[in-house]
Amino acid sequence: MNPPSNRMIELVHVQRDFRRADGQRVQAVVDVSFVIPEGQFVCLVGPSGCGKSTLLQMLAGLLPPSSGGIVVDGKEVSGPGPERGVVFQKDSVFPWMRVIDNVEYGLKCRRVPPAERREIARSYLRQVGLSHVERAWPRELSGGMLKRVAIATVFANGGRVLMLDEPFSALDYVTRRQLQDVLLNLWSADKSGVRKTVLFVTHDVDEALALADRILVFRSGCQVDDIPVEKARPRSADSLLEPDMIAIKRKLLHHIGLDRPALPDAEAAA
Amino acid sequence: MAEAAKSSATNWDAADRRPPSAAAVRSNEKATPRANGRLTLSLRSGIRAVDPLRFLGLIIFVLAWYALSFLFQPIILPPPAAVLVRLLADFWDAPNLSYYGVAEPNLYANLIYTAENVAIAVLIGAAIGIVCGLVSARVSIFRAIVDPIMTTAGTVPILVAAPFLLIWFGVGRESAVGLVIFYVTVIMYLFAQKAASNLNPIYEEFARTLGAGQRQIVVDLLLPATVPEILGGLRIALAGAWGLEAVSELLGSQEGMGKVLEVLAGATDPEGIMATLLLLGFVAISVDAALAWIVARFAGWNAGLHSGGSRT
Repeated sequence: MNPPSNRMIELVHVQRDFRRADGQRVQAVVDVSFVIPEGQFVCLVGPSGCGKSTLLQMLAGLLPPSSGGIVVDGKEVSGPGPERGVVFQKDSVFPWMRVIDNVEYGLKCRRVPPAERREIARSYLRQVGLSHVERAWPRELSGGMLKRVAIATVFANGGRVLMLDEPFSALDYVTRRQLQDVLLNLWSADKSGVRKTVLFVTHDVDEALALADRILVFRSGCQVDDIPVEKARPRSADSLLEPDMIAIKRKLLHHIGLDRPALPDAEAAA
Repeated sequence: MAEAAKSSATNWDAADRRPPSAAAVRSNEKATPRANGRLTLSLRSGIRAVDPLRFLGLIIFVLAWYALSFLFQPIILPPPAAVLVRLLADFWDAPNLSYYGVAEPNLYANLIYTAENVAIAVLIGAAIGIVCGLVSARVSIFRAIVDPIMTTAGTVPILVAAPFLLIWFGVGRESAVGLVIFYVTVIMYLFAQKAASNLNPIYEEFARTLGAGQRQIVVDLLLPATVPEILGGLRIALAGAWGLEAVSELLGSQEGMGKVLEVLAGATDPEGIMATLLLLGFVAISVDAALAWIVARFAGWNAGLHSGGSRT
């Protein structure tokens, strides 16, 4: 087995512009460069509209950068591929396939023999706690369960990079906490010995603190900070209240602009 | 009330993990009983789908017909029983038809002729329409070329093409079939195109990130996702096809239910006409019911098609 790569994901001066309907150019991502070593759990944090989702779309290969280069596992990204799994914010589970067929789908596309792919799919369904709905239709599942199916699908597909675009933002607090644990457990339990490299986009500061090894902060399309989080896992609710974590949280809130009351600021501007 | 809401909200774990449906429970059974179970289930849901009010409407209609038949002479409005007797008699043997030059003097052979034409036309028309509709939704240049043709064809009353077809193909099978193919193609094109355009792009994005190629996206996403809407469109096209086939036979044909109707109208035989219409209607409704059953059977994932299906 190869040793973990120190440069699993590499972005070099990545830029992305959009042209609005009124013809004005909007810079969604401005000159972003960073390197992520293999096995790191990275959260991309920032207020909505800061370009973090656009960045993920480009990494997924669903959107080409306007300029700059994205290299994943030594290969320039030119389109989507099974080595980079994506969990979307919206439900992406195929309604016309039963749960088990959904989880198998990526493996089926790559011609993994039926018995083998069924075994893999069953194992991941068990790990996300959905063995009992193997043959159900997606319409019969709750929002939280659909997210579990999507996570199982992407893990079963076995890509070395996992990208999640605000995956739990539409869920209630309790379900979100449960799914964070499901995700961390799957990530830690990787049998190959080398964990997946995870890019997790969120606007929820507490979610980032609970999950990340490292937090990249974005604002107005620019990367404004790169904060390591060295707290051991599993992180309990209490560990998030320890001084070092609170210091990070303060920093994040400052970047997002939530460290001061909004109203006086608006008055000052006026 | 508020208390109950709170308790159900805190009971999230049970809610998230409970078996969602009978479908999931069946997964534990062995293969054969499962297949049987599914079949009886869809049969049962088919029976459930039949609305008892429909029978009530039918009974009221027949009663009203029966009552009205006392007010008019049988030559104007024959009573239901007489029509039924006539239908049963004419089905195998209707000697008066041969007198007017119908090749096969019975309803049975003419029904087969009409049904054959409808089947041929629907098969060809649906094949052309569905393929073109799906392709047009994905290939914009194809859409730009075909859309104006189909929209124009869909706007013009299709029967005006009948004289041309009669000139080109004569009074044989081809004219009637051609007209119905034309109609079915336009309807299925529009339905298939709409179904494919309605497919949420997130599914294709997800499939591509999982490693699906173009062919797999068509076979595993586009086709299954559009089946419910396309089959729904096929039911509409089929209903229209029966009528159009009969009318085009009326305009010029030597055989078929339309020809029979034309002959009987010439002979001022309302009893025969109503018997023929009754048979045609019965066959059309039976075929539609069969198609509805197929829709329910092959698109079980789509909740909208199940009367009993709901998010558990």
